[in-house]
Formats: sequence, C-alpha cells, structure tokens
Amino acid sequence: MTTLPAQPIFPRMPRGRRDQRRYTPRPRQKGLVRRAALQAFVKLDPRIAVRNPVMFVVWCGTVVCLLATGMPNLFGGGAENSGRVFNGLISLTLLATLLFANFAEALAEGRGKAQADALRRTQARTQARLLDPQGGGERLVDSSMLRRGDVVMVSAGDTIPADGEVIEGVASVDESAITGESAPVLKEAGSDVAGSVTGGTRILSDQLTIRITADPGKGFIDRMIALVEGAERTKTPNEIALTVLLAVLTQVFLIAVATLPPLAAYLKEPTPVVTLVALLVALIPTTIGGLLSAIGIAGMDRVAQFNVIATSGRAVEACGDINTLVLDKTGTITLGNRLAEEFLPVGGHSEVELAQVAYGASAFDQTPEGRSIARLVEQRSSVVPFASLPVALDGASGIEFSARTRMSGTDAADGSEYRKGAVEAIKGFVRSRGGTIPEDLDATYEQVSRLGGTPLAVCRGGTIFGVIYLKDIIKPGIRERFDQLRRMGIRTVMLTGDNPITAGVIAREAGVDDFIAEATPEDKIAVIEGEQKLGKLVAMTGDGSNDAPALAQANVGVAMNSGTQAAKEAANMVDLDSDPTKLIDIVTIGKQLLITRGALTTFSVANDVAKYFAILPALFAGIGLGPLNLMGLASPRSAILSAMVFNAVIIPALVPLALKGVEFRPLSAEQLLRRNLLLYGLGGVITPFVGIKAIDLAIAALGFR
Amino acid sequence: MTRLQRPTFWLPLLLAAGTVLIAPLLPGQDPPLQRHALALLISLTVALSGYLFTAMVRPERF
Repeated sequence: MTTLPAQPIFPRMPRGRRDQRRYTPRPRQKGLVRRAALQAFVKLDPRIAVRNPVMFVVWCGTVVCLLATGMPNLFGGGAENSGRVFNGLISLTLLATLLFANFAEALAEGRGKAQADALRRTQARTQARLLDPQGGGERLVDSSMLRRGDVVMVSAGDTIPADGEVIEGVASVDESAITGESAPVLKEAGSDVAGSVTGGTRILSDQLTIRITADPGKGFIDRMIALVEGAERTKTPNEIALTVLLAVLTQVFLIAVATLPPLAAYLKEPTPVVTLVALLVALIPTTIGGLLSAIGIAGMDRVAQFNVIATSGRAVEACGDINTLVLDKTGTITLGNRLAEEFLPVGGHSEVELAQVAYGASAFDQTPEGRSIARLVEQRSSVVPFASLPVALDGASGIEFSARTRMSGTDAADGSEYRKGAVEAIKGFVRSRGGTIPEDLDATYEQVSRLGGTPLAVCRGGTIFGVIYLKDIIKPGIRERFDQLRRMGIRTVMLTGDNPITAGVIAREAGVDDFIAEATPEDKIAVIEGEQKLGKLVAMTGDGSNDAPALAQANVGVAMNSGTQAAKEAANMVDLDSDPTKLIDIVTIGKQLLITRGALTTFSVANDVAKYFAILPALFAGIGLGPLNLMGLASPRSAILSAMVFNAVIIPALVPLALKGVEFRPLSAEQLLRRNLLLYGLGGVITPFVGIKAIDLAIAALGFR
Repeated sequence: MTRLQRPTFWLPLLLAAGTVLIAPLLPGQDPPLQRHALALLISLTVALSGYLFTAMVRPERF
C-alpha cells in the first residue's frame, strides 16, 4: 500500500485537488445587480411581501408611516404628532429596509436563474431518431416529444436527446457540457457504471441505442433548474423552524409595542405612532427576516456550482446534519484502480505456472485490475514464456465478477475452469471441485493483507496456484479529511469486499473510524439502518444497481453520474463528476448553509440590544430612562432615526456574507457554537453600538435634531 | 363561493367592522378622522397578530 503526500484541504470552501477542475461554467453576472434592483421594487407588491412574515410587518409599518407623513395629525395632534419631516425620514428608512431585503432575495434568485440558464444551455433541443417498437423502422422527432420508455438511436456526432439507459452498443461520449471534463467517457450496454447517458451530451464515436428514462422536463437537469430558479423550492425543515421562531419573536414584540401607548398615556408620556412603528421594526429580527430566503437560494446555487445535482433543498440541508458517512473503499478512500504488483505462488507451484493460470483467469476481464494482471504477465515475459500461456481460449467464455460469488474467471473450451478472486471464495470453489487447500496459502494471504494489499487467489479447477498481490493506493490527503470530519463529530465507516486483515490495515492507514470487511450490498443497508436506529443521519455514495436500495435508505444518497439509472433514481443527489470523494465536500456545503443561517440569526437577534439602548431612552427620557442613553446620542429623534438607518443598511452590508456563506471550519458543534457566539453574537451586540453612534454623529453634523 | 373564502374579500370587511366597533371606545380623540384612524390602526394590529399566528402554525405556507 502506498500513501501519496497530502495536499492542503478545506482552504475555504471544500476544494482539495478539485480546484484544478473546470466546474459548471460560472453564470454570467452582467446586469445581475440592475435586474435585482428592479426586482426589489416589484417585490414591494403586497401579494409577494405577505410571504415573508417579518418583512410584511415592516411593509405595514411603512404604509402607516407614509400615511402619517402625508397627514401628520392623522393619529392625533399635540404630542402624538412627531412632525412631517421626521415621519418622512422614518418612512424612507423603512422603505429602504424593505428594498434592501428584496434586493438580497432578488440577487440570490438572479444568480440562481443565471446558474439555471447555464444548465439549460446543456439542454439544446435536437432531433432524435425514434425507433418504432413494432415495425423496427425509425422516424425523426423533436427531442421534446420523447417520453419515458421510448427507444432512440444516436450515432457519432449526434447530441443525446434526453436522459436514458444504453440498451445496445458501445460508444465514447463527450460529457463536457455537463461536467466540464473534456476527456470522453465510454458508454456501453449492460454496464453497471457506464450504462446511463445524460441529455445534452454528445456521441463522439460509434452508435448507441438508448431507452429514454425521463419524460420532458423531468430529467435530472430539469429538476436542478427548477430548484436553483426557486420555482419548486419548498421550505426545508430548518427554514420552517426558523420561520416559526421569527414569527413568534415578531408576535411578541408586536404585542409588547401595542401595549405601550396606554402605559405611556398613564405616565403622561404620549408616544407618536411613527415612533412606535420605529420601535417595533427595530425590535423584530429584520436582518435575518430579510436575508433568510437569500441564504437558502445561495446554498442551492453553491451545490450546483460544485457540479452536484440535488433533487431537493431538504437533501442539501440534511448534509449539514450528517453524523455518519458510509464510504466505499475503492474510488473513495483508495484510488479506483488497484494494480497487480506481484505473483506469490503456493503449494509448490512456480511463478510461471501461477502467471499462466492468472493470465487465463483474466482473459475476459476488462476491469483495470484484470488488465493490470495481464500487463504484469507481459512485464514478467522473461520468466513466463509467452508460448506457454493458455492461448487455447477459442470457444472459451468469461465469468464476470459478482459481489455474491466474489470471483471471476474463464471457462475454457477444453473444460478447464480458470478462477481468481477472494481467497475464501476460491477456497470454496476448489473444495467444490474436490481439490485441497495448500498449507502455505493462508500465510501468503496474511502476508499480502498485512501490507494492506488485496490478495487474489488463483486456481484452475481444483488446484490453487497462488496469490496475486493487488496494491491499493490511498488517496492523498484523505487521512487529514477524516481527522477533520472526526473533529466535526462525523463518524466514517469504510465498506470493502476485502478480507478483514487488508480492510483493517487500510482503515488504520486512512484513519476511518470503523470498517466492514467482505461487505455485501445487504451489509450497506444494514449499516445504514443500524446508524439510523441510533438516531443518526447517514450519507453514502453509490453507482451500481445493487447500491440503489442503500442509496434510497440513506438520508443523503449521492449517485455517480456514470452509475446506473436505478442508482440515480434512488439517490437524492447526482454528482456529475462521478467523484465519490465529493460526498465529504457536499457535507461541508450543507454544514456551511446551516452555519450561515445560524450565524446571521445570532447576529440579527444580538443587534436588538443596542437598539433598546437607542430607542427606549429616547421614548421615555421623561420618566427617568434618560441614563440608559449609554451612547450619548444627540437627541431622541436622531437616536430613533440612527437606529432605523442602521437597521436598513445592515441588510445590504450582510448580503455578500449571505450569498457567499460563512467561512467553514472543520470544528465540533460545541467549538463552532462558541466561535459563532463570540463572533456573531458579541459582534452583533458591539457593531450596532458603533454603527448607531456613527450615524447619530453624522445626522447631528447635518443639523438634524 | 371560493371568492368569499379568500382573505382579500373578508379581511377588509373585518377591518371595517373592527374600526366601527372600536372608534366609539376611544376617549379624547375629538376629530372623527383621528378616532377612526386610530381604531383602524388597532384593528390592523389585531389582524397582523392573527397573520403572525398563522405563520406560526402553518409556516410552510410562507
């Protein structure tokens, strides 16, 4: 086993080595701000404003203040009349608060729409050659007319008209339109990892017969477009919980402010309606109320930019709460291609004999491992005379590897059975053929396993010839990633078909918390169910049809784009780059989304403290609350106006943070809470004190009293 | 019939009814306009409170 040198990880957003990859092209940002500014006014429509409880209260307050500006005596003369100029200024700041909140939402939506347009460009309409199921002929139809179950034929140069499954043929496909990866990928019928194609990609060679698997507008890209555009965005559980909290806070403050006038009248300190509205708006959590939807939309946008298609916002958010990651060893923890390193003969056989049988067993094996065995035989041609290799394979048939038999091989025409596979599986095969197990087999098997390699036993009929040492290479930086995940409280479980000794060595080397050796597809579901019974949320990746039940069972199932249609249907995310390691990145995106929402909520609520000290002394200076004017604000009116101006400008000031997300750090929940309370809680208390004082000084300098 | 069930239909009626009921109870507000404006404001506050209550029990609608 080899470990490559580590590379820096989690610099800000999860990137690692993928920062060199070309992601989905960044959408055009030109004109985005202008369109968002226009949309901010459109969103003043009460039918739209009513969807956001906190901001709708501000909207109602703005209307009341505008009325009081037009008719200063409307709600009472004398002390209740705070003057047209003051009323007008408060109205303007409230209007600005609404516009800034609308702008934040429109900007996030605009970015999502631009992202959707970039995705939509991959879905160019094209002509498809639809095969007639009865007559066998074909006719040209528009790709938008294709329905699930239709069978089409595509040839070199054609664009694949819709998502589908290859039912016949082998071809190389350019998927750069959706993955950004320019190297073509091989697609073939009956393959578990190369059997599905995505609409919008282009065939470079040969021809494929494809069964369409999605009706128009129901493909993966369509679902993602709807999601990033916000058209089908339903509130996630966290957003719902936060909406309730914000509504409760707003209700409490509304009742508190509504009960003030009788109290103030009793104390002979009548309060103008406009001042009460200002107090209400200052107290309710307008900052998070204005930015909440922008944070959610921006989170979806980030996932899309990472070349991951999520079928719901709920899935992205669930990533942030994941407790356990179930990871396949091959491709995720180790580099996908294990390579044959050495032949280790047993039972008195020679290396030449072992190489011959291994070559025979790999004759039909087109997997990287199988090809590497043939290559090793060729490299050792000086010790393995080619003339003696089993070339009499005419009429022979290949036996494919399966997770159940855990071996593959060749049935030669002369009746010889060449097999290679897991040592226990080969032992069983040999016993079934009446053979005996060489005494030194277990020692050799353990020798390879202790090196962290995968031992493949090789036999012909009832005779075991030896073991092939397949070398695993652990991905660079993976240990550090698991260390960080552990610090975040996420447990990692490695699943592998390897024997327990090999699995244990790799698990220790990679730093995973637990491993399941000799795992079958059923084990995956059992592990997920076991964790879920403990109240944990589980994420996993998969690409094969046999992964589909486990992907459906997991809270977050990420299917590889190169995987089968069954796996993609079962999962709630599809990784267009087919990179299993990305699961770790997706978890960080989900966590970042939740942290951003939490941090801005903390900041918003903490903001209120300074506003109490600005507005309450101004309202009730006459009854002895004057000493609470800690900031030494110039006058009651300038104090209220300063608090309102700060309340408005803090929203656009936080828009970049809401859209970009709070910087993610791989810390435990307690450490994150402590850090965010310090940064956004304490910062949320101090910033408005400084801000309101500065605005008050500016207002006083302008001569407003 | 469905139109009658919409808040846009019955809410203004309720606000008007509330205003008419509350206005005579407000002391010391001589001009009728001020008295009714304040009564409308109180009715609006109650309606806003009801709206926030709806947001609490049916948050997925918002």
